[in-house]
Amino acid sequence: MPRRTAFSAQTLSVLAALAARPSDWRHGYDLARETGLKSGTLYPILLRLADRELVEACWEEGEPAGRPRRHLYRLTSDGLPAATAALAAAPAPATRTARSGRPARPGRAAAPRRLAQEGP
Amino acid sequence: MERLTRLLAGVLRAAARWLPPGRREWAEAVRAEADQVPAGWPRLGWLAGGLWLAVREAEMMRKVVYWLGVVTVAATAAWAVRLSWQASSAAHPLVVTDRVRVLVGVAALAGLPWVGRRRGWFGPVGTSITARLVRVAGSVALCGLGMAVVRMDRDIGGGPHGATPFSLPREIVAVVLLGVALAALPVVRTRWPQVDSTTLWVFSGMTGAIVLAVVPLQALAIIYAGGILAVTSRRSPVATTSLAAGAMTGLAAGLAAALAVYGLNTPDDRYVPLILLSVFAITLLLGILAGAVASWLRSGTEDPDAIREARIRQGLLAGSMAGAVCGVVLTNFAAVAFFMMVLGPLLGAAGGALGGTVAAYHPRKPRPARSWAAGLFVRS
Repeated sequence: MPRRTAFSAQTLSVLAALAARPSDWRHGYDLARETGLKSGTLYPILLRLADRELVEACWEEGEPAGRPRRHLYRLTSDGLPAATAALAAAPAPATRTARSGRPARPGRAAAPRRLAQEGP
Repeated sequence: MERLTRLLAGVLRAAARWLPPGRREWAEAVRAEADQVPAGWPRLGWLAGGLWLAVREAEMMRKVVYWLGVVTVAATAAWAVRLSWQASSAAHPLVVTDRVRVLVGVAALAGLPWVGRRRGWFGPVGTSITARLVRVAGSVALCGLGMAVVRMDRDIGGGPHGATPFSLPREIVAVVLLGVALAALPVVRTRWPQVDSTTLWVFSGMTGAIVLAVVPLQALAIIYAGGILAVTSRRSPVATTSLAAGAMTGLAAGLAAALAVYGLNTPDDRYVPLILLSVFAITLLLGILAGAVASWLRSGTEDPDAIREARIRQGLLAGSMAGAVCGVVLTNFAAVAFFMMVLGPLLGAAGGALGGTVAAYHPRKPRPARSWAAGLFVRS
């Protein structure tokens, strides 16, 4: 039987954050605050999602005062239905995270389910 | 703290340059956002995450581990050569023989990867960390074997074949014979494909046996160097799980056998039969374990007969490898037990086939497999 590839809990939380405001460009620190993920986890996830063409990335236009230009992300036209389907198919919020076995942070695992129920 | 943060930002900027063009902007993105993160530990953690991203994407860990492995093997080989040149009496035939043994082993370790630098029996190395670790550890153990033989000859004045004086023609003929034995299979298969493969294997085996009888340690060094490269190459028939099972159980068997040798050894050699029995039993039992584990870990979607056959094959390979590893480890501790480098793989193969067959007919209950590549995907 062929294996089915599903998204991890961390990826689902990123997809949920992006799918909550699909037309908005989001920056990394904003996503990190919303999902509770560290940069070392968040950016590889964004990178792989971009490789799969589920997320598009671009640099902020113009030269903002007092800070460097930001790298921005949002779901692609293929990414939005894929995210919605993945979130709908996600298992019930677990009390522990998939990787570490530590208790999940409030809102972290619950976000995908909530979004799946409400829709993007 | 501020200085450390600036330092890490600089390191991240430098590391980003190592990344391929499509990946560079991602590391720069982390750095660009660092100013938004509260100063202190949070910002430091943010930059460290970016550095981790750069390390992952540039495959730096793999490069670092690879070069550390190369340096380790080269240093051990150089040490073995130096040790053989430091022996007490350069004029003594044993010293010359040891030098040749060490040089043949080192030449095999250096030459075979060059032969297999393209896709072939000996290379390139498999992508798994297990294959790389086994290749490095095996090469180091082989250099250690040379050192063990040199030390033994220096300390007690005689080795396994130490009484035989050095003969240059014998060494040359033996190495040529070994080359013929190794090259016969691919050459005949290419030029005369109609020749029966059983005949070829029998011919190669007989040639190998002759070489083994003439210059056992040199032949074993070359055979083991080739074996290490072959089982860890990308085209190896040994699955990564079987490689890990064979290496781990073989290491345990080798250490247990060494303990048995040192624990039961007496000046009057009273317990030699008991020592031999213990060593054989340990090799066989851990060969069975390696075979069973390799067989259980072999998963697949083929029809039941095919998967059973594949499991038994992996069990046999893992058991042979466990026996070979046991032989090398034991010989590193007690060079006089070098015969285990021949008997070990045979005992291990028997045990592995037995364990693999039993496990193939009693498979484990399937469990959902998991992967945590960057915490990105899970499999169910």
